[in-house]
Amino acid sequence: MFVIINALKSITRCKGRNILIGIIVLAIAAASCVALAIRNAADEAETAGLDLLTITASITVDTQRLMEEAQSSGGDMRAMRERISQYQNLSLSELLAYSESDYVQNFYYSSTISLNASGGLEAYGSDGSSGSSFPGGMGGRGGFGGMAMGDFAVTGYSAEDAMINFINGTSKITNGEMFDIASADMNCLISYELALFNGLSVGDTITLANPNAEEETYTFTITGIYSHSSSSESSNFPRFSTAMDPANSIYISYDALQAIVEHSASVAVTETDVNGFEISTAVTGQLSSTFVLSSHADYENFGEELTARGLSEYYMLSSSDISNYEASLVPLQNLSRFAMTLLFIVLAIGGVILIVINVFNIRERKYEVGVLTAIGIKKGKVAMQFVTELLCVTLIAIVIGAGVGAAVSVPVSNNLLSVQIEQMQSQAVNQETNFGRVAGGMAGGRQNIQGGRNTMIDIFSGNRADVNYLDQINTTVNFSILGQLIGIGIILTIISSLAAVVFVMRYEPLKILTNRT
Amino acid sequence: MSILKLENISYTYDGRAKVLAGLNYEFFKGKVYAIVGRSGAGKTTLLSLLSGLTSPTEGRILFDNKDVRKIDRYQYRSRYVGVVFQQFNLLPHLNAVENVELSMRASGKKIENMRKRATELLDKVDLDETLAKRRVLKLSGGEQQRVAIARALSFDPDIILADEPTGNLDLTTQEDVMDIFKRLAHEENKCVIIVSHSPEVAASVDEVYELASFRTTKKRRNEH
Repeated sequence: MFVIINALKSITRCKGRNILIGIIVLAIAAASCVALAIRNAADEAETAGLDLLTITASITVDTQRLMEEAQSSGGDMRAMRERISQYQNLSLSELLAYSESDYVQNFYYSSTISLNASGGLEAYGSDGSSGSSFPGGMGGRGGFGGMAMGDFAVTGYSAEDAMINFINGTSKITNGEMFDIASADMNCLISYELALFNGLSVGDTITLANPNAEEETYTFTITGIYSHSSSSESSNFPRFSTAMDPANSIYISYDALQAIVEHSASVAVTETDVNGFEISTAVTGQLSSTFVLSSHADYENFGEELTARGLSEYYMLSSSDISNYEASLVPLQNLSRFAMTLLFIVLAIGGVILIVINVFNIRERKYEVGVLTAIGIKKGKVAMQFVTELLCVTLIAIVIGAGVGAAVSVPVSNNLLSVQIEQMQSQAVNQETNFGRVAGGMAGGRQNIQGGRNTMIDIFSGNRADVNYLDQINTTVNFSILGQLIGIGIILTIISSLAAVVFVMRYEPLKILTNRT
Repeated sequence: MSILKLENISYTYDGRAKVLAGLNYEFFKGKVYAIVGRSGAGKTTLLSLLSGLTSPTEGRILFDNKDVRKIDRYQYRSRYVGVVFQQFNLLPHLNAVENVELSMRASGKKIENMRKRATELLDKVDLDETLAKRRVLKLSGGEQQRVAIARALSFDPDIILADEPTGNLDLTTQEDVMDIFKRLAHEENKCVIIVSHSPEVAASVDEVYELASFRTTKKRRNEH
């Protein structure tokens, strides 16, 4: 009690000295508070955000692993091709079986085929002649999924959830309505550019043909016309086929597309080429599927379940959502690292300043030490009094500093974060410009394509997901941060008062009082 | 039995300058002593030894028959010995009452209503309430001297050591202070030891202990 009473009296009676110390500690506390709040927000964004993230994933062949193993076993190209061909993309029935898992929130799929224009219809951007695709496709099985490059990319969806462009707002139906996705009717959506180019409107019919067999045709009724926010002119990628132009994308139901594929297979003609590969005229679709999982934990558990259910090690469950999310946190993590570095610098400099001030403080109060020890107060108690004074001032300054830090942490951190994001985006833009490309592409996500690699359509139309950086953070000051600040304050007090304690313990009252005389 | 006893006390400053040599003396409760001598005789040094602020180079000081070096000197100074310093040695950021209270708290003794007792003590040394609440820096030398005396008495010590306690006081107050010391000794059975240059002080005490440089001290008993 003696120590506390004396300490409090000394604090109130010697305001100037304590205000100076208080200001320094307040500055340290405010800076520390902002740094800790940023780090806290970054950690929470990483863990909590990941836990709440809805993840879209797909099962793909781990071709990289297959090739590496084939290479390491000393095989040639033929052996490698054979090895890879052993592991085909999973069939729809297999994928549907896996989708029954309790961890899977939703499952949807789509398939894409390429068809030529027929009956007066022209592809947008074509020169009028059909067959702008490579004739006969790029080979049968083992080529690009057996898909020939026709004039149009026709995609069939199992559910509206699969139509990512419409989910994220990149595409919108501007005329007419959506077709019945559960139906096998030959209804479709076409782009605004295509409709304008051909003078088409809702209710009209279009005819498309198998690129490998022009007499095999299919007629669709236009139920709706959509606009696409990514202009077909915006991409500088060279287009080897009009099918790569987003304006030539036609959407139908999966059941309708499956009907086309089955019919095409039933009337297909098969030949053997000079290399011994079988070439069929049948139109084949490239299946793309997506599992939707409600959390990162479910994603991990689903992966383990697939292995337990016998999925080969050469298949992998992958998702770009996690890596995209982690990429979106990069500026925040950079900011967090910067904040922690700043914190250590502030603490180091602040600590040195406090030590120096305390040393001068104690030297100034030598007489007081002499008097207190002369009237019988032990040196240890005197030292404790000084430490208590410093601790009280520090704690008060920390509380005020935490308040200041809390008030400025949100605007300061969001400002710093936006600077980080600008820097990163500027770097990305510069990179794109260097390659002669217009920066940006389609925003939002895209479906994961089976096979683990982008289709040429996706690559050359610029359909890459731009990273949506986390640009606003909630840097609230909670009890954990307050506790850390108090801990910092106590450590600062101990370190800066150690010098004071050493001085006090060395003083002899008689010498002090004699020197003063 | 004496309350304080000097046994062959010698003291050398910094291992070179010998100030005191071979002192032997006894101080008893119920008496007022004056330690006199020329400047440099070692009066203040002797007071420092008696108050436990420093230790003799040779010999020993016994408090209540216990070697002072072997007891807790902080407790000795805070509970048993009240010291009135020549330079007062008050804490400037506290007022008069608080300086006295500080000494009470430092003693560790259970003292009821410290503030009231401090005020009474200050009143005893003729310092009124208004001045008592003033910071000591704003008091005159004589007023600070009275605060120092009140502080020394605050925890009811057995021994009171005073270094030139009347130095800054007017004649009337000097007499008042000496009366207080005599009352403490004769009525409250304290041992009061005063270092003074003043012949008046020397004349008013019970015993005078004259210090001479490196010579045997002379003891003189005053006949009252």
